[in-house]
Amino acid sequence: MANLSINLCGVQFKNPVIAASGTYGFGREFNELYDIGQIGGVSTKGLTLEPRLGNPVPRIAESRGVILNAVGLQNPGVDYFLENDLDWLKATGTVVIANVAGKTLDDYSGICAKLDGRVDMIELNISCPNVKSGGMAFGIKPETVEEVTMYAKKALKHTPLIVKLSPNVESIATNARAAENGGADCVSLINTLTGMAIDIERRRPIIANNTGGVSGAGVKPVAVRMTYEAAQAVKIPVIGMGGITCAEDAIEFLMAGATAVQVGTANFTDPYAMPKIIKGLNEWCDRHGVANVADLTGTLQLNGK
Amino acid sequence: MKDYIGTIVKNEKIAENIYAVTFALEEDVKVRCGQFGNIAVGGTHLLRRPIAICKMEGREVTFCYQIKGEGTQILKTMGAGTRLNVLLPLGNGFYVEENEQKIALVGGGVGVFPLISVLREYGATKEIAAYIGYRNKGAVCGVEEFGKAKRFVAVTDDGSYGEQMNAVQAFVRDVENGNRPDVVLACGPTPMLRALKAAVEEENIPCYVSLEERMGCGIGACVVCVCDLTNGKRARVCKDGPVFNAKDVVL
Repeated sequence: MANLSINLCGVQFKNPVIAASGTYGFGREFNELYDIGQIGGVSTKGLTLEPRLGNPVPRIAESRGVILNAVGLQNPGVDYFLENDLDWLKATGTVVIANVAGKTLDDYSGICAKLDGRVDMIELNISCPNVKSGGMAFGIKPETVEEVTMYAKKALKHTPLIVKLSPNVESIATNARAAENGGADCVSLINTLTGMAIDIERRRPIIANNTGGVSGAGVKPVAVRMTYEAAQAVKIPVIGMGGITCAEDAIEFLMAGATAVQVGTANFTDPYAMPKIIKGLNEWCDRHGVANVADLTGTLQLNGK
Repeated sequence: MKDYIGTIVKNEKIAENIYAVTFALEEDVKVRCGQFGNIAVGGTHLLRRPIAICKMEGREVTFCYQIKGEGTQILKTMGAGTRLNVLLPLGNGFYVEENEQKIALVGGGVGVFPLISVLREYGATKEIAAYIGYRNKGAVCGVEEFGKAKRFVAVTDDGSYGEQMNAVQAFVRDVENGNRPDVVLACGPTPMLRALKAAVEEENIPCYVSLEERMGCGIGACVVCVCDLTNGKRARVCKDGPVFNAKDVVL
């Protein structure tokens, strides 16, 4: 039995496998299938200060090896979460990461203030590609990444801050550094890549929002590359994600420099994907004589070096 | 709800562009009529195919599906012995109250298959009339099952089988002739459900409709497959539905 536990910004995780925001709700549905207390952490559905109805349907489409979604941050609002879901989710024993989004800088500081000290970590969504007011405006330019991070950080006295980075940018390394300069305790990446899928019979995009965020197995090489570049650029820990389907995929991200990983789309293909990945990580470590999964982080050796 | 490994027993064409696939599961599963399963077709398809359960007998479950995209194209080529993951039972399903003795089923297109599951569950204890609309004679299916109902009216858009009208018109005509059900259960294209909703509201008959929407997880976690409610909120088709009281949803 390898030691799968990790420490991220002072928060202890049973293992480095975290449910990615938006694919796992607040954990209740998956808990009907298995005990979600065995999962390293859960990043909640993106929360906003006020409840949101999200985008019209259809909100999802498929393309080979990937999916596209444009849910548009439908959520019951942060107060509802605090009142109805937080205690339940904490009691499962998983690490609770509140994913938060907003329209304005004040939204971000406001929602962070409400959650400070209540959840284990906060993940700042400044990269939702599906809502104009979903923070994407903050996530593109390094100056605004730094600014929104500073605003959020100022509202936090107790809870470590993760900034979730968009891949739809000029330089992931620059934006990762911007988050670090703004006071982020950790960065996570990648959010979805903006894409489009067309129904050729109707000559219209399948998704009502026209464009959607691309995720799933097909985006993994892009995500691994960006995780590597971000990890090289900053001193704070990195959470890697994008197309992770099995333990071997997760290990790629760890080697590229991630301390933990998130699993999203794979939960749709196989609702037991995360317990299987955790089991697979343990088996891989045992087979390879790795005593601590944390020892894998950043062990990638580039060719020619 | 559990993710079963289903072994295909048979997979055959039952009407124009419609196939029926039967899986043997590892154990007996209790399902309610109107619930659905989420079938993993594999390959480069990351989303499962949510399909209504048409029949559940012991450990054998049958789904009927229309060939619509690549996923169903692949599914139709899969022969006996193929093993696929099938997550079920999902959704709330149809529920008939004790005091609702006379049930009207109104269906069209692939929407007829969840109604077959209603007939199987309530056929022996309730008085059922089925009003089923097909595009044309080639699309007619489920006749053997619906034929077991107390009354079965099959109609087509072009008059090539039964009368030329739609299922809602056939239902309304019966109601006007004094054949009034205690409850209506329906599944089919949205324009059909919309027309039905208007008709039952006028007659003040309770009506439950099963909705269809593009889904992500199929279990209520991702809030992809929502519908608008008349109270201004949105509900998840996969978890809060797929069956809704017609007066609660905006169609």
